Amino acid sequence: MGRALKSFIWLLALMILAASSCFAALPKPIGFVNDFAQVIDQRTRAELNSIAEGLRDNQGIEVAVVTINSAQPDTPKQYATQLFNEWGIGGPEDSGLLILLAVEDREIQVEVGYGLEGVLPDGKVGGILDDAVIPYFAEGDFAKGLLEGTKAFAKALSGESYSRRESRNPDVTGFIIFLIIAIIASLSARRSPSGPGPGGPLGPGGTVRRPPYPRPMPPVFRGPKGGGGGFGGFGGGRSGGGGAGRKF
Amino acid sequence: MKRSWIIVVAAILVLAFGLISQYNSLVSLETNVDARWAQVENQLQRRADLIPNLVNTVKGYASHEEQIFTEIAAARSRLLSAASPSAQMEASNSLDMALGRLLAIAENYPQLKADTSFVRLQDELAGTENRIAVERMRYNEAVQEWNRTIRRFPTVLVARLFGKDVRPFFEASAGAQEVPQVQF
Repeated sequence: MGRALKSFIWLLALMILAASSCFAALPKPIGFVNDFAQVIDQRTRAELNSIAEGLRDNQGIEVAVVTINSAQPDTPKQYATQLFNEWGIGGPEDSGLLILLAVEDREIQVEVGYGLEGVLPDGKVGGILDDAVIPYFAEGDFAKGLLEGTKAFAKALSGESYSRRESRNPDVTGFIIFLIIAIIASLSARRSPSGPGPGGPLGPGGTVRRPPYPRPMPPVFRGPKGGGGGFGGFGGGRSGGGGAGRKF
Repeated sequence: MKRSWIIVVAAILVLAFGLISQYNSLVSLETNVDARWAQVENQLQRRADLIPNLVNTVKGYASHEEQIFTEIAAARSRLLSAASPSAQMEASNSLDMALGRLLAIAENYPQLKADTSFVRLQDELAGTENRIAVERMRYNEAVQEWNRTIRRFPTVLVARLFGKDVRPFFEASAGAQEVPQVQF
């Protein structure tokens, strides 16, 4: 039993390492508000959080507000598209919105998920940026601009409703399945140390058959639980470069 | 005597199953390439649909810049009538260049730049360019996987047998690297 446990722990550690090493360049989401450039004050952050939580709980829309210093070597738009699809912002109907501020690039990019492209066409997104965000950014008030912009987007989205992630507690079921697989794997590895590797000698020549853009899995491990609902990971939404941006 | 027959039959069966699985994986990869290309086509079509509106708005302020309007109209109709992916790519790239020049011309007309419907159209155009860039990248990834797979041994034999060939990448034209930006 001691050896089985040991090999299981090793397996677990390896899997976590493998999962965290891919996409090392992109940060992990820490909530609806990800102020990596540290330009949002505590009060504005709380307000942004409550808007985002309301949108998710009442309308199934996921909004992420992200600030970074620079998107180098990518353009902020490319960075936004990558981040959106890596985080999987939006529910099963791709109802997500990413507001990305790149402070040193002096650029804001809004990436619209596939599901919201109908309500938020690019022209409308650009108009909202011009009216609600850029006036504050021009004065250097990033927090106020992001808050007013988020409010304006929430207003434009009012009345829209999308389905939410089906399972209420995917962390528990996901973790149990993961545990069972890991235990079986570690037991069978112990029983047949010289067995054939995965695939076997007659495998299909190592052909990769996954589609290039799979829907990201909802995160198995949930973030720190805040009181009443809280963040809990994004729902696997996708985007294809829609939205608008402004330099300021 | 009987045993060698069994071996022959078994070998044929193994080969047949190998062939079937190779063929099936080729089919799913090829379907993926086609699906990605269809997405690119969607976005190219979307841009072609935007152009008449854009041209009309610019004409309202700069009616005498006729040369650029005819150039855009020609590139657009070439794109819409292009039959093969490579012809579409070529037409799309020349449309990119013409659009870039149109937007450069628009810079000279402050009233046009302040027109809200022009700003909206420019946003739509920039968004469409971004979508094309994303779909082009995804298409190129699918093509890369396809081309790599059908050149590999033993897949190359199956690919030859069924007449599967490499697909062209969709390269961006030199002038189209920069997405038009709305700036104030």
